[in-house]
Amino acid sequence: MDQTDSYPVKLYVYDLSRGMARQLSASMLGRHIDGIWHTGVVVHGKEHYFGGSTGITNCPPGGTLLGPPDSVVDMGFTEVPEDLFKEYLTSLGESKYRGANYNLFENNCNTFSSEVAQFLTGRKIPSYITDLPSDILSTPFGQALRPFLDSMVINPGGNNLAGQ
Amino acid sequence: MVPDSRIFRNGICNARGFHQNRTSHFKEEISRRFKAKQDQLVLIFAGKILKDGDSLSQHGIKDGLTVHLVIKTAHKAADGGSTSASSSTSTQAGSTSTSNPGTSPSTTTGSTGSAPPPTQTPNILTGFGDLAGLAGLGMGSANFMELQQQMQRQLMSNPEMLSQIMENPLVQNMMSNPDLMRQMIMANPQMQQLMERNPEISHMLNNPELMRQTMELARNPAMMQEMMRNQDRALSNLESIPGGYNALRRMYTDIQEPMFSAAREQFGSNPFSALGGSSESGAQPSRTENREPLPNPWGPPASSNPSESGGGSTGSSSTTAGTTPSVSNPLGINPGSLGNGMFNSPGMQSLLQQISENPQLMQNMLSAPYMRSMMQSLAQNPELASQVLMNNPLFAGNQQLQEQFRAQLPIFLQQMQNPEALSVMTNPRAMQALMQIQQGLQTLQTEAPGLMPSLMSGGIPGIPTGGAMPTENPASSPSSAGTNTAQQQLMQQMLQMFAGGGGGGGGSATTQTPEVRFQSQLDQLNAMGFINREANLQALIATGGDINAAIERLLGSQPS
Repeated sequence: MDQTDSYPVKLYVYDLSRGMARQLSASMLGRHIDGIWHTGVVVHGKEHYFGGSTGITNCPPGGTLLGPPDSVVDMGFTEVPEDLFKEYLTSLGESKYRGANYNLFENNCNTFSSEVAQFLTGRKIPSYITDLPSDILSTPFGQALRPFLDSMVINPGGNNLAGQ
Repeated sequence: MVPDSRIFRNGICNARGFHQNRTSHFKEEISRRFKAKQDQLVLIFAGKILKDGDSLSQHGIKDGLTVHLVIKTAHKAADGGSTSASSSTSTQAGSTSTSNPGTSPSTTTGSTGSAPPPTQTPNILTGFGDLAGLAGLGMGSANFMELQQQMQRQLMSNPEMLSQIMENPLVQNMMSNPDLMRQMIMANPQMQQLMERNPEISHMLNNPELMRQTMELARNPAMMQEMMRNQDRALSNLESIPGGYNALRRMYTDIQEPMFSAAREQFGSNPFSALGGSSESGAQPSRTENREPLPNPWGPPASSNPSESGGGSTGSSSTTAGTTPSVSNPLGINPGSLGNGMFNSPGMQSLLQQISENPQLMQNMLSAPYMRSMMQSLAQNPELASQVLMNNPLFAGNQQLQEQFRAQLPIFLQQMQNPEALSVMTNPRAMQALMQIQQGLQTLQTEAPGLMPSLMSGGIPGIPTGGAMPTENPASSPSSAGTNTAQQQLMQQMLQMFAGGGGGGGGSATTQTPEVRFQSQLDQLNAMGFINREANLQALIATGGDINAAIERLLGSQPS
């Protein structure tokens, strides 16, 4: 009766600061953060993430410039087949997740991962990842740098969804 | 709307006839609301696809949980057809159910929002065919640069447009004409500057073969990315070669930075925006190793860097300042951090240690391409820099230090750009040497507090003359001023050290005029009755700022 397959969904977590945040954040920000997290959702054999300027992109798992992930979170399984998932991503990429809509604090790779994970599995990604922008903004340092950070985009490199 | 969800809610809660609420019924309502066929609807909950025959309760769908909806496109529309929409249909109870109709208009607007770019595309294409039509594009500007800019913006918002434009035969013609392209590129004054400085670039522009290759690249985004990736890999290999890192950095400063700022000024802060206007910059791996289009995965830490590197030396003082208010005395002077002022607070020590233990840290920090341009923009915009640094909580406690630092800011920022200074900070041995000096000073301070090397000139008089610092501080502002003076002086020395070429050792106190250093001692000696300023100064210099010894000297018959 159950014809649908189950596809595993994983969350790849990268620390963009390569450990610097863990060492230096307490002294610089005034509060300790373990890392500057970038995430990608791995499903159907590809890693999907939202990068600034390229929009939703995908690549072989662990295939971004960042190399292998610092940690992998198992998000469970999804029944959503690949073509349906692609359609979903396309529609996301036209609405909320255009490349130009990338905002380091409010609409970033982790926002995307959170939404996709929620869609695929019904579970959210760990809160320490999604809380990061507000953690940083709650420090005076983050506030001061905000105008500068707002203009920055993170783009680890990969294939554009549209280019498939 | 509300009635629908209420039915649903009641169905679940009250176990009415709707309790076994079938997915198909749910889909009916949704299809009505979203104006899509039921066939197109796919409901997903918790990663499971809800089939028509399933019941909602079977999947554990309760109030307040989010069910996802994907409306499949009946036909594949090239530009993201308006029929494709994805929304989270929230089945939250009560008033929040109005968010449901809220989401549907938003998704439809989202999909209609994507419609305008496609309709704009034919305009631009026709514009190319008819130059007069360019004005009709709404741009109106005959200035080619502005036109480029606007095009750039549109390109960014719709990547498909780029490929469409590239496919236009007229564009292809234009691009395959290297002369025309060269003219376009040379028209940018910054490019001209760049070319003057780096003849290699003009070489490249004049090489038709290379131009053609570049055009090919620009046309094919996949190839472009491939190329960039290769470049990245080559660059990282370069980095690992000894001395390669420095070469890279030099390259970066010479070439990428001006290019970056050129592109940036023209197109805004999007690093990829340079692609359209100066697309050749992406394809010169063999010539100039241009890193311009490189994405920067280390963005966020790089942004935290100015205060980090600024904090490299100032953070030292600022950690002291930071620790001071926490100490429970009114003026917040931390006796342990007095005298040596800066580098001796444990926080700073550990930071320095980390840095010296992990040269990679500094290298990572400085190697981030963003670092340089950020330093530059900080240097050019001292207000921003001061804002950034002042807001650093470590600074918060010490107003004077802020003032003093603010004054030093422009010098400091310049120094940070000085590769010598940077090489000091990246050189682990140099950092270690610095640390050793600090440690030595600290030992000296504990071993012979009366001696107090000249670095501590300001703070010293406060210590011997006062009993416990806390009791003295409320009464005597000079001592707090003295502390700050010590910190300031150390700061100044730090800066002058950088100014002195950076490659040297720790802060050489002799770079400051003795008069400045011993100002407070001189004042004290004056107050005691030693009015011969010259002699006082000599004595102070000879004793390294120690007032008692200086007094002895002045009173005794020791040769000065």
